[in-house]
Amino acid sequence: MTRTVLCVDTEARVSDVAATIDAEEDLTAIEATSVSGAIDAIDDEPVVGVVTAYELDDGSGMEVIEAVRKRSPQTPVVLFTDVSPGEIDTSSFKELVVEYLNRELPDAADRLGFIVNDVIDHSAQVGFLTPDDEDERLKALDSYDIEELPIEESFDRLTDLIAAHFDIAVAFIGLIEEDQENFLACTGADWDSLTREDTICTHSMLQEDVMVVEDIADDKRFNKNEQLENLGIVSYAGANMTSSDGHVIGQVCALDHEAKTYTAEEKHRLEQFAETAMEILELRQSVREARGMEVSQ
Amino acid sequence: MSVHSERFSAADLPIDGIDSGSSILLTGDDTAALKTVFARLVAADDDERSIVLATNAGGRSIQRLLNDARSDAGSRASILTAEGPARGDDVTSVDDIADLTQVGMQFSTLVATAQQSTDRFRSGIFLCSTIAGEVEDTRSVFRFLNSNFLTELRRGEGIGVVAIDRSAEMGTNVDSMISGMETSFTARIDIETTGRNEATLEISGIDGNEGRVDVSL
Repeated sequence: MTRTVLCVDTEARVSDVAATIDAEEDLTAIEATSVSGAIDAIDDEPVVGVVTAYELDDGSGMEVIEAVRKRSPQTPVVLFTDVSPGEIDTSSFKELVVEYLNRELPDAADRLGFIVNDVIDHSAQVGFLTPDDEDERLKALDSYDIEELPIEESFDRLTDLIAAHFDIAVAFIGLIEEDQENFLACTGADWDSLTREDTICTHSMLQEDVMVVEDIADDKRFNKNEQLENLGIVSYAGANMTSSDGHVIGQVCALDHEAKTYTAEEKHRLEQFAETAMEILELRQSVREARGMEVSQ
Repeated sequence: MSVHSERFSAADLPIDGIDSGSSILLTGDDTAALKTVFARLVAADDDERSIVLATNAGGRSIQRLLNDARSDAGSRASILTAEGPARGDDVTSVDDIADLTQVGMQFSTLVATAQQSTDRFRSGIFLCSTIAGEVEDTRSVFRFLNSNFLTELRRGEGIGVVAIDRSAEMGTNVDSMISGMETSFTARIDIETTGRNEATLEISGIDGNEGRVDVSL
């Protein structure tokens, strides 16, 4: 599969950078020679990564990085420049964070190709941590034929029950894919998916027990998250959906528009709801597989 | 480009055989004990280089700490400090630890420069809890760890240690954050101070070193 990488540099240098990227198997370069040109290119065509110089005719590479982060926060960017870090003005971009590669290093060109492949392959600049079994976890998730399973009604009933049981505004069942969380059922809101670094479930899935955030305004992991603010979420409780081979593939969650605490018993109850959701998924999958075997025989 | 060969050992700690590529989350609520164990893990052996991001200590202080852990290890260290001035080639300073874009670029540069002279490195952050307390949005800390710290361990022949002071104010649920970070790191060492200059380390994720071990500090 061809992967498109946007290369941003001055007229005099951009073709060299693009040639380095094109030399990599599976990578195809497109070029831009200005901040505005780079933004147009990102808007016109999906890219899997960006390589940008710092000094551009109409601005700096930091502006390119900022534009990428706003549009696609999980797309990795490499700042490839001969300007040293100390000379780069980051005062307005303190929390952008980028991979930096000094093009004056003796092996800079070799490193560039390697690094671009690496950051793309490993989603290496995301604003969340992934479990160390992430690859196996995604395979486990992929083993369920979610689109084909008749789980929607069962899950809708379950989230209705969860919302009523906890007397909360929103209850949902979500599966955590590589880049986003997909909501399979949601009572109290109309949500389809959310970028993974914007979801609290991204953090909750890393904990064995139920994760509770009583008031997200008090937690710096979430209180600058505009998506959560826009959705009106104030409190959160999430329990893991764990596959039979031990991988956390999703979350069953209780949310409210007010701060809320959960007792040990309530957390246990939420875990039971999550186990029930997982059982429904497993049973539907088993039935589908059994029918498939019958047909093939 | 990535070659994982001889394992790493810790200076003056009963921890051996740390695989190249290992990321160690070091936690505790006694800053002095954290500092000592951190130094023993990060102090470079003869054919290695240390790259340390120091949030709460100056370059010379870190060099002395590394020297205490392993003979002359301070001279084999590149230090990026948010406290105190730059000194020569080995101590670089940053003005604002919350400027993770600048910190990350400087740190990556030190790692890349170190790799020009030796393949093996030990990188460390002391203290990540200070960074988490200073930034606006904790997602930036995770992006920084992913972009400028954990990636280097995947690509090169090195180990990395991130220290977190559990008693620090991080503006979040510390236990929840550590528990999340733990699953992303390959190993965890939790320090419990048991007496004057004595502590128990609870180790997980380092083959052959699992469990509790008492150490003198």
